[in-house]
Amino acid sequence: MPRRGALCVGTLLVLLQLAFVPSPLAGCLLNPCVEITPNTTFRCTGLNISGVPEGVPNTTQNLDLSFSNLKSLGSNYFASVPELQLLDLSRCHLHSIEDNSFMDLPRLSTLILTANSLQHLGKAAFHGLTSLKKLVLVETNRTSLSELPIGHLHTLQELNLGHNSITSLKLPEYFANMTSLRHLSFFSNKITSISRGDLDALRGGNRLNLTLVLSLNNIKSIEPGALAGIRLAELALRSTFENFSVMQESLQGLAGLQVSRLVLGEFSDAERLEGFERGLLSGLCQVQMEEFVLFCLKDFEHDTDTLFDCISNVSTIRLVDLGLEKISEVPPLSKVKHLECKKCDFEEVPAWKLSLFKELRVLRITKNRSLKDFKQKFEGLSKLEVMDFSENSLNIRTCCSPKFQNCPNLKHLNLSFNSYIRLTGDFTSVKNLLYLDLQHTTLFGPGSYPVFLSLQKLIYLDISHTKTEVKSQCTFCGLNSLQVLKMAGNSFGDNKLENNFKNLTHLHTLDISSCKLEQVDPSTFDALSELKELNISNNKLLTFDPGVYQPLQALRVLDFSRNQLTVLLESAREVLPHSLVLLDISQNLFDCSCVYLDFLKWVKEEQELLQNEELMLCHMPSYVANVSLLSFDLSSCHVSMGTVVLSMFLLSSALLLLFLIYRYYFQLYYSLVLLSGCKHSAERGETYDAFVIHSSKDQEWVIKELVEPLEGGTPPFHLCLYFRDFLPGVPVVTNIIEEGFLSSRNVIAVISTDFLESKWCSFEFDIAQSWQLVEGKAGIIMVVLEGVNKALLRQRLGLSRYLRRNTYLEWKDKEISKHIFWRQLTGVLLEGKNWHQEEVKLM
Amino acid sequence: MKTANVLLLISVLLYINASTEWPTHTVCKEDNLEIYYKSCDPQQDFSFSIDHCSDIATHTFDVKAAMTLRHSIKKLYVKLAMIINGKTVLTYSDMLCGPGHNKLIFCGKKKGERLQYEGPVTLGIKEIPQGDYTLSAKLTNEDDVTVACADFTVKNYLDYY
Repeated sequence: MPRRGALCVGTLLVLLQLAFVPSPLAGCLLNPCVEITPNTTFRCTGLNISGVPEGVPNTTQNLDLSFSNLKSLGSNYFASVPELQLLDLSRCHLHSIEDNSFMDLPRLSTLILTANSLQHLGKAAFHGLTSLKKLVLVETNRTSLSELPIGHLHTLQELNLGHNSITSLKLPEYFANMTSLRHLSFFSNKITSISRGDLDALRGGNRLNLTLVLSLNNIKSIEPGALAGIRLAELALRSTFENFSVMQESLQGLAGLQVSRLVLGEFSDAERLEGFERGLLSGLCQVQMEEFVLFCLKDFEHDTDTLFDCISNVSTIRLVDLGLEKISEVPPLSKVKHLECKKCDFEEVPAWKLSLFKELRVLRITKNRSLKDFKQKFEGLSKLEVMDFSENSLNIRTCCSPKFQNCPNLKHLNLSFNSYIRLTGDFTSVKNLLYLDLQHTTLFGPGSYPVFLSLQKLIYLDISHTKTEVKSQCTFCGLNSLQVLKMAGNSFGDNKLENNFKNLTHLHTLDISSCKLEQVDPSTFDALSELKELNISNNKLLTFDPGVYQPLQALRVLDFSRNQLTVLLESAREVLPHSLVLLDISQNLFDCSCVYLDFLKWVKEEQELLQNEELMLCHMPSYVANVSLLSFDLSSCHVSMGTVVLSMFLLSSALLLLFLIYRYYFQLYYSLVLLSGCKHSAERGETYDAFVIHSSKDQEWVIKELVEPLEGGTPPFHLCLYFRDFLPGVPVVTNIIEEGFLSSRNVIAVISTDFLESKWCSFEFDIAQSWQLVEGKAGIIMVVLEGVNKALLRQRLGLSRYLRRNTYLEWKDKEISKHIFWRQLTGVLLEGKNWHQEEVKLM
Repeated sequence: MKTANVLLLISVLLYINASTEWPTHTVCKEDNLEIYYKSCDPQQDFSFSIDHCSDIATHTFDVKAAMTLRHSIKKLYVKLAMIINGKTVLTYSDMLCGPGHNKLIFCGKKKGERLQYEGPVTLGIKEIPQGDYTLSAKLTNEDDVTVACADFTVKNYLDYY
C-alpha cells in the first residue's frame, strides 16, 4: 500500500512539473517534446526526467534537452537516439558524467554542456564520440586542462572552455593530435601567465587557422619566447591585463608570434587600463601579423605618437571605440593598406596625417558622432580606392574634388548619413569614381544644376533622402555609365516626372520611391531600355499609363506598391514586358467592382508574379473594403450577373402582364365577375325575361319591333334594355353583367351591320356565349336583321360559326314573316318562365 | 480519491495559464521616485537593481542585472518604448552586441550561461521624463527571439539640476 501511495505522489509531481513547462508543451501531455522538424529535431526543455524522453524517435538528429533536471549521465545514456548530430545539455543540473555516456553517438558533431557544474567527469566520459567537432564546456567548473578527458577527440574543431577556473595554459600533448582544431577559447578564466612550453603542442604541423581566445583572464606575464614560432589565425587578448605596465611588458613576450589577426583592448564595461600611454604597443614590433584590432581604449590625449610605431607594417588596422581625437605621428613608409576608425573621437578629419599612409587602399572613419569638420585635404593617396565616411556628423562646404587631391584611384566614396554636403560639381580629381553614396545627408546642389557632369564612369549613385528637389532637366547629365540610381525620399518639381533620365541609357536599377510623385510624363522612360529594376512605390500615382512604361522592355522587377492605383487595365497589363519576374502593386486603392472582373481574375492567375499579395486589398466599393483581392469572391460577380438577367426577365414579364391586362381588361374583368357571379347567380332573382343586345343605331327598331309588341302583348314580357334599365353611376361592364346577364333568363341578340361593327356588342355577345357555356342552357336568341353583310358576318368567325350551328330568327319586313317571327320569339321566351300569380291571372 | 485527482488535475491546468505572470519587484521607492518592474517573458523572471536611485538625476547611474540566458546572444538588440496612458509616446532601439561590435563583456554568451551586468548606464536623453508612465524594454537576439522582457512602472517627480 505505501508503494501505491508513493506512485500516486509521483504522478502528482509529474503533473506539477508539467505546470511549469510552457503551455504549448503542456498541451500534449503524452509527449513533452516539441517537434521542430519532423522526425529529426526535437526540443524537450525544462523537464524533470532521467533518460531520453520516450516521444523522441531513433531518427532524431538534433535534440535539445536544455534546462532539464538530468542530474547525471550514465553509460549508454543516449542509446535510443544513435543518429544524433547535435545534443544540447545546457543547464541540465549535471554534476557527473559517467564513462561511456555518449558511447552510442558516432555521428554526434556538436555537444553543448554549458552551465553544468560538473563534479565528476569520467576518464572515458567522451568515448565513442568519433565525429565530434564542437565541444562547449562553458561554465562547467573546470579548473585544469590536464584533467579533461578529450585527448582522443581528434576530429575536434572548436573547444570552448569559457567562464571556467582554468589557471594554466599548459596545453597537454594530445592537442598536437587535434589537427582540425580551429577555435580554442579560454574566455574569462583564471590564467595568470603564459610560459615557454605552454603552447608547444601547437607548434608542429601547419596550423594557420587556430583562433586562441584569452580575453578576460588575468595575465600577469608572458614569458619571452612563449609564443615564438607559433602560427595562429587569431589571438584575442581583450581585458586580459590588469594595468598598463603589465600589458606593455606582456606584449613584449609575444615576440616571434605569427598571427593573422591580433585583438587587443578592453570591453567598455570592464575597463582596467587607465588609458593609452607611450610605448604600450612596443612589443608588437616583434610580432608578425596581418590585421590588428584595438578596442575600447580611452584617454589617448597626446600620447598617440607611438600608436602606429610597431603596427605600421600591418596591412589592416581596425580601431574601434577608441578615445582617439587626433593622429599625431605616422611612421614613414607605413604599409597599412586598410585602416578603419569606428566610433573614435575625431572632431576633424585628420586628412593630412592619414595622407602619410601612402599604401592605403581602404579608409573607413565611421560612426564618429563628434566628427563635424572636413577642412584638411587628402593628398597623394595614389592607391586609395575606398573611402567610407558614413554615419558621422560631417558638414562639408565644398565637395568633392578639393578634398581629394591626387587620389586618382578613388573608386568608392561613401558620405552617407552625415549632416550636410554642398556639391559644387567639381569632381575632376576623383573622376574615376564608380560608387558614390550620399544617402541620408542633406545635399545642396543636385537638382538645381548639373553637378555630376564629370562623373562619366560612375556606376552607382545613391542620393536617397537627401532633401533634393529635382528641378533641372539636366540633373543627371554626365552620368553616362550609371547603372544604379537610388533617390528615394526626394522630390521632383511640380511632383511630376519629366524627361529627367534621358542620358541614363545604361541604367539597370532606379529607385524613385517616396518622391511625392503625382504624374509621370509619357517620355520619361524612353531612354531606359536596359532598366531591370524600377521602384516607384509610395508615391501618389493614380494611373499606370501603358505609354509611359512601354519602353521598359528589359524590366524584371517593378515595385508600384503604395500608390493610388485603382486598377491595372488590360492595356496596361499588355505592356508589362515578358521578362518581368516580380511585380508589386500591393497597398494601392483597388476598385473591386465587378466591372473590373478581368483584372481581378488576372490577379488570381498571376500569383507567382505578384508580390505581397496579402497586402492587395479592395478599397472600393465600400462593402468589400479591406477584403484581400485574392480572397475576393469572383463568383459573386457571376451571381449578380444572373440576378441582373433574372430581374430583367421579371421586369419584362411584369410589363407584358400589364400590357395584357390593359389589352384584355374587359375579358379579365368579365372572367372575374363570372367566377364570382357563378356563385350567387342562383340567389339572384330573374327580373327580366330577356336581355337585348343591340347596336345603339338599331334602337329605333328595337323599341318599335321588340319592346312594344313583347312588353305590351300577352303575356307581357319584361325586357332588359341598356338605355332604359342600366343603373347610372355603375361601370358599363358591371351593368352588362349584373343587370343584363345575371338578371335575365334569355339573351336576344339583334344582329345587324352596326352590331358587327360595335365593340360593345361583340363584347356582350362574347359574354353571352361564355355565359351559355357556363350555365349550360341555350339562352341566346339570334335575330338577324335584313341587309346584314354576309361577308362581314363571315369575318366574325365565332358569330358565323354560331349562326351555322344554331337556329336563328330572321327578320323580314313582311306581314307573314313578322307573324312567324313573333310566334317563334314568344315561344322561346315562354319556355321556363315562372309565372307569377298576377300574370297567371292576367292570362 | 479519483475525484480528488481530477480536481487536482484541473487546478494544475488552470495554474498553467495563471502562472505566466511574474511578481512585481521594487527597484526604487523614494519620496520623488518610484520604479517597479515585472518580467513579461513568460519563461523567466530576472533580477535588476539600481545602486543609488537618486543618481538617476545625474544621467549616469550604476545598475546590477542578472539572468539566465535561455537563448544565445551572438547579437543583442534592445527596444525601449515609453507608454503613457496606454499610448506609445517614444521608442528607442539599439544594437548592444553584434559581429565586430562586441564592446560589452556578455556579448556572445551562449544559451544556459548566466548573464550578469554590473556597471554604469548612461542615458542618451537630457533628462528622464517626469510623471507616471510605463517603460517597456525588450531584448532580442539574432533570431529575433525574446531574450528578456520587462515593463518598468515609473513614478518620477525628481528635480533635475
